[in-house]
Amino acid sequence: MSLRRVLALPSWAEHVRLLAGAAGLDRPLATVQATLDASHRPAPGELTVVARPVAGTDWQIDALVRRCADAGATGVLLPGTEPLTASRLLADRLAVPLLTTGAPPLDLLVEARLLLAAPEIDRANLLLATHRALGDRLRPPEEVVAVVRRLLRSPVAVLDDRGAPLAGEVTGRVRLDEAVPQRTEVDGGVLLAHPVLLQRPAMWLAAELRGTEAARADVVPPALAVAAGALQRWLLANRLELERDARSRTALLGDLLRLDTEPGADLRRRVADAGWRLGGWHVGLHIGVPAAVDTVARTQEVMRALDVDAVVVEHGDGWTGWVTFDHEPTAERVRSLATRLQAAHRTLRLGAHMGVGRPHPRPEGLAATVAEALDAARLAATRPETGHFLHVDQLGMAQLLLEWTRTDTFEPAARALVAPLRSVPGDLVRTLSAYLDAESSIAETATVLGVHRNTVAARIARIEQLLGVDLSRPDERLALHLASRAVILSDE
Amino acid sequence: MRITAGDVAALERGVALLGSGGGGDTVTAAVLLRQLLSDGRALVVSSTAELAPSARVVPIGVVGATAAFTEKLPGGGEFAAAVAAVERWTGERADALMSIEIGGLNGLLPLVVADQLGLGYVDADLSGRGLPRLDQFSVAATGRGVAPAALAEPGGQVVVLAAGSDAVIERGTRAFLAGSGGWAAFALAPIPAGELAGCTVPGTTSGALELGRRVLAVGESPPRDALETALAGSVLARGRVLEVARHLGPGQHGSPGFGRGSVTLADHRDGGLLRLEMENEYLLALRDGTPVASTPDVLSVLDHRTGVPVSCDAIRTGVEVDVVRLAAAPFWTDPRWLPVVRPRAYGIDCDPVGIG
Repeated sequence: MSLRRVLALPSWAEHVRLLAGAAGLDRPLATVQATLDASHRPAPGELTVVARPVAGTDWQIDALVRRCADAGATGVLLPGTEPLTASRLLADRLAVPLLTTGAPPLDLLVEARLLLAAPEIDRANLLLATHRALGDRLRPPEEVVAVVRRLLRSPVAVLDDRGAPLAGEVTGRVRLDEAVPQRTEVDGGVLLAHPVLLQRPAMWLAAELRGTEAARADVVPPALAVAAGALQRWLLANRLELERDARSRTALLGDLLRLDTEPGADLRRRVADAGWRLGGWHVGLHIGVPAAVDTVARTQEVMRALDVDAVVVEHGDGWTGWVTFDHEPTAERVRSLATRLQAAHRTLRLGAHMGVGRPHPRPEGLAATVAEALDAARLAATRPETGHFLHVDQLGMAQLLLEWTRTDTFEPAARALVAPLRSVPGDLVRTLSAYLDAESSIAETATVLGVHRNTVAARIARIEQLLGVDLSRPDERLALHLASRAVILSDE
Repeated sequence: MRITAGDVAALERGVALLGSGGGGDTVTAAVLLRQLLSDGRALVVSSTAELAPSARVVPIGVVGATAAFTEKLPGGGEFAAAVAAVERWTGERADALMSIEIGGLNGLLPLVVADQLGLGYVDADLSGRGLPRLDQFSVAATGRGVAPAALAEPGGQVVVLAAGSDAVIERGTRAFLAGSGGWAAFALAPIPAGELAGCTVPGTTSGALELGRRVLAVGESPPRDALETALAGSVLARGRVLEVARHLGPGQHGSPGFGRGSVTLADHRDGGLLRLEMENEYLLALRDGTPVASTPDVLSVLDHRTGVPVSCDAIRTGVEVDVVRLAAAPFWTDPRWLPVVRPRAYGIDCDPVGIG
């Protein structure tokens, strides 16, 4: 607001005369203050209205003009006075508008104050209207957008934390990395945005003011803040429900996975309430994600992405789920399901790894296929070459078995078993492994290792002697085969 | 101290400066003084310490419209009548005279009177500058009081204001002057020389003479710093008078007040606007709206070309002037006496500028 704007008010235009200091007419005007006190100290942005009669010859006029200039005040209005040339010259020199009026100065003051308060009144009205319209009821983003759009007569949108619209539409861009209310000049208007904060901005409420509405850019932000508050309440309530739901489902899943007998009536009832099926054939799946991912908040997103009729439960480091078939699925159907899950996994982009189990029937089969999926997912985490996706089909099963030989319990035992071979010269562990791979063929072992077959024969004899084993016995062969493989793999 | 004809110009310049724009025209008094000293005579001015403590000193001067003094000429016997009246009233003979006011014509005329009456003259006065009212005299400020006071006007009337507060004496004097010739010779009751130190401003005649000598020595249109050195003061502005506005000041007790006015000039140096508020004297100086000097300091306006002080009555637009400030006599910076001469004593709602 400027003094020039106030002077355009009808009563001011009619009754107020600018005597001097025209150069200061565009000084910002913040307040209009009446004074009876000759030694009044004006505040910055103040138009000082002298409400007592004052002689034009009074030197205090000069002093007041001077204090106005010093304080960054806006001007001086004198009642019915013709100041000296000296005062006018001073007002010109200091660029402090010096005004006089024949009208009651306090009437003029009230009019100017109302004009100054107009944005405040507009802001207050909008704020109240927003409060009333949004009320106490929880409203999803679509409703909030509709309410705010109606109040602002402007495009409004709720954006997710990546700037994609969840409801409504705006064309301007929100600066997502600045978690503060924003104001951006856009072509022909102003984009206002307010973050909806949980720990960090979970959503943004944005409004695009164009044309005449752009003039209200100073008025709108508090209303947006209120609407953002409504969104925040909705998010929090929603979140609470999700958490509660997630906890009960996770507990139910845990009970199912521990099941080793027929489920009791109570458990069957809980399963039915959850809309799950225990009969039929199940194919388990597990999606593991980095610790930073909020699994509860993203469950819906994951279910949408999977796009199959699956149960998905927040579990462990991510989600565990399964697809239930009425009858034993054909290999073709299982492969097709795995392909679809793999495609869904690619679209998720959560830095996730995914494992899929084999079909198993009945409740206990559910636990089995889920266990396979969990193992496969763990394996997939270290397999970038498969896109961090692993399906436990026949081939996958073997890999899984072999993978188990790398576990924390197996590997030390394997090392202990072949330790005597490592303490003597000659590549005895590798020879043993190659010999067993070659199904006890001395000749083939010699070829693989590139040594003479007599050497192989001598080494095998030495191995049997050192370990005190008989390599013709299947159990000992199997144990040593796994042990040697595990040691070699871990040494590689 | 002796004053000779050669000192008259300097003394006149000094008392005119101390008049602070008031005190009346010094020309007539200077003519009389110069005539008195024309044949090589000298006047003796004694410091208060040189007098016997019991010596009786009568303060005298012209009161009223000093402009009328040059229009309605004195008959010659007014001062003798006033002194005689106060002697008769108090029953004490005068041994010496002193001035009521160093600023303006009262800085010169009592010297002439002392010589005519064959009395000594004391280097002190009751103002130390130009002052407009009797109740501002040092004897009023210190509580000694103005009454009894004798007035003798050129028409022959002699009045003794025997008793009353200083304000009453002031009011009575104004009423008498309004009903008579506009000015009168004025004499106060004799003050023993031993008491002068406590109730007068000492050394003012010698001080005015020194000031006048220094100022004359720098010549006409002196450079700013030379003028400041000579004055032991400061030049507030040097420029052309843009506006002189006169109006009647607030009256008291139903009688009209003194004329008030504002003088504004633009400083040649930076275009700054210097505004002087005046009554009978220049009282307040504002530079671009900020008070920069005030009574009791002496504010004087000098014609830039001649260096002659320009009185409040005589100032007009278009003249090139220097506005200067001289420090007040130490008497007036005493916090006990300051209220008598601070701006509010003249109805100007402003703290003294430059006084602690």
